[in-house]
Amino acid sequence: MRASRVAWPYNGLMFVASIVLLFSLGVAIAYAVNLITFPFDYDQGEGFELVDTILFSQFQWPYQNTDSYPFYSSNYPPLFHILPAPFVWIFGPSYAYGRLLSFIATLLTAVVISYAVYRDTHQRWIALLSGLAYISSNFVYHNAPLFRQHLTMVLLETIAIVVLAQAFQKRENKLIALGLGLLIAAGYTKQLAAISAVAVLVWMFLRNPRRAVLWGAAFVAVGVAIFVVLTVATSGEWWRQTIIANVNAFNPFQMFGLALLWLRLHALLLIPAVLYTLYELYFSRLSLYAVWFGITAILGGIAAGTWGAGDSYYTSAIAAMCIVSGRVFGQVGNSPRLRQSAAKAVVVLIIPMAYLGYGVSTLKLPTEGPIFGPIASALSIEPNVMGRHFDSATYDVLGYANIGHFTTREDVRNGYRIVDLIQNADGPVISEDAAFSIVAGKDVITNPTQLRNLYLAGVWEGAELLKMIENDQFALIILRASFFPTPVLEAIQENYSPTKVITMNGFDYVFWSPANK
Amino acid sequence: MANSEESYETTDIKQFASTSFTISKRLLGIFLLIIGTGSFFGILAIDIFDVGRQGGIGPSQQAALALTLIVALIGLTLIPLGDKPA
Repeated sequence: MRASRVAWPYNGLMFVASIVLLFSLGVAIAYAVNLITFPFDYDQGEGFELVDTILFSQFQWPYQNTDSYPFYSSNYPPLFHILPAPFVWIFGPSYAYGRLLSFIATLLTAVVISYAVYRDTHQRWIALLSGLAYISSNFVYHNAPLFRQHLTMVLLETIAIVVLAQAFQKRENKLIALGLGLLIAAGYTKQLAAISAVAVLVWMFLRNPRRAVLWGAAFVAVGVAIFVVLTVATSGEWWRQTIIANVNAFNPFQMFGLALLWLRLHALLLIPAVLYTLYELYFSRLSLYAVWFGITAILGGIAAGTWGAGDSYYTSAIAAMCIVSGRVFGQVGNSPRLRQSAAKAVVVLIIPMAYLGYGVSTLKLPTEGPIFGPIASALSIEPNVMGRHFDSATYDVLGYANIGHFTTREDVRNGYRIVDLIQNADGPVISEDAAFSIVAGKDVITNPTQLRNLYLAGVWEGAELLKMIENDQFALIILRASFFPTPVLEAIQENYSPTKVITMNGFDYVFWSPANK
Repeated sequence: MANSEESYETTDIKQFASTSFTISKRLLGIFLLIIGTGSFFGILAIDIFDVGRQGGIGPSQQAALALTLIVALIGLTLIPLGDKPA
């Protein structure tokens, strides 16, 4: 390709595409630095993931009985929360290391994607852009530096897929065991990895049913054994909290909205990925990447429509899309027939233009500040989020997380105002976001979404919590999204009055005090 | 071009339980056709058996029906491709 007449326009366009995608990486790094230094909840529920880590650092399970004080439990698997637990011993409770861990996992996923594309195509530049495209996705970007387990799950899945894609066919048993072990680790990072496990088992079955059944049986046996150990060790709470309380209502409008947004933002890499998958299906052999892409796109897209789910449910499919599109671009570039044909000119345009267009369609950046302000101004980009951020996805789609903007000094100040009020409260405090209680040195009481899920599943008692609310035993109750079960919200409204509102990071935190005091 | 691994693979259904058997495009097509049509009628049956339900076929069901038809159609078009490995 370098020696051909079309090398210059190709290289020129690839250079511009690289600049655009590297700029996206720069925005992601700046966003990560901003969040890692932010001491409070940024995304709803983030604080309860920190609580899980704190509990693991104290050698306690987070899967607890929610019917007795402090009424806390978690519905997330343990691995992601165990990893940063040693940092609690050294630095104390903080969001910083969990957010850093998740962001590093995102960067590593991009590296693994690039490696997979390079291994199959030996096209360095395309491999690099494939990895950068993953980070540039709006869906990946705003989840990357959160204290959340999702993108660590995607990292483990991606490594597993890249290992298994070669090892199974070459019958390298140690590597097959490693790949399946990584998939189990992904599943115990977040349950959603079950979709990638389905993709792997289907593909292995297509390649050789006998070996697939044998490996699949071992895989299931290990996964189930860990599950049984967790259930027994937590007196059944693991089963109740992570399985029974994890079945949520389905909203088709959320599913369709997110699917359309996913298509709109990622179309320029989705189209080649879909075409290449069809090519493999009809004219070649289905690769593990194509099967992973197809199954995670369909099942992940459906799962994204459940309550509490969202755009992050597409991130496995986005990783697969980046690998499959990178492979097709790389192989097209390597094709000897195309080297000699007029079609080369088209290819020269399509490959870099796809990455360039993708970079533009996934653009997001702050529109103020000493670095991004002048850039936004030069590009005539107006803020469409909170008056200080541009996101090509906007915040208008149900299920698309309303995050990605940078926090401000005022947010930090207002967070500490909330902490001061909690510290000065004469008694225990319920806060819908856990960070304020952690920073204030108070007990973290309850996990609202978990209580809600248990209540909707019909396995929540809550008599002791309701009695404490009715007896005005909480000095303050701080609500943000009112995710508590209906009986709790009714008890709060009957016995407490709203006395103050503090806005932090665009959200109103309403302080409810006992009405009779 | 077949690599050394593929050279001893077979799509002969009589060797289904052997370590050299691999699923053919025809067999995959038959699987997908059965799954697609079965799921299609299964989704329709939700309305037939769940007589107390209001609202008929909703948007989720319509999307699911479309998906099952696509799966069945892909299956149908794979069957003529014969013994090529899937």
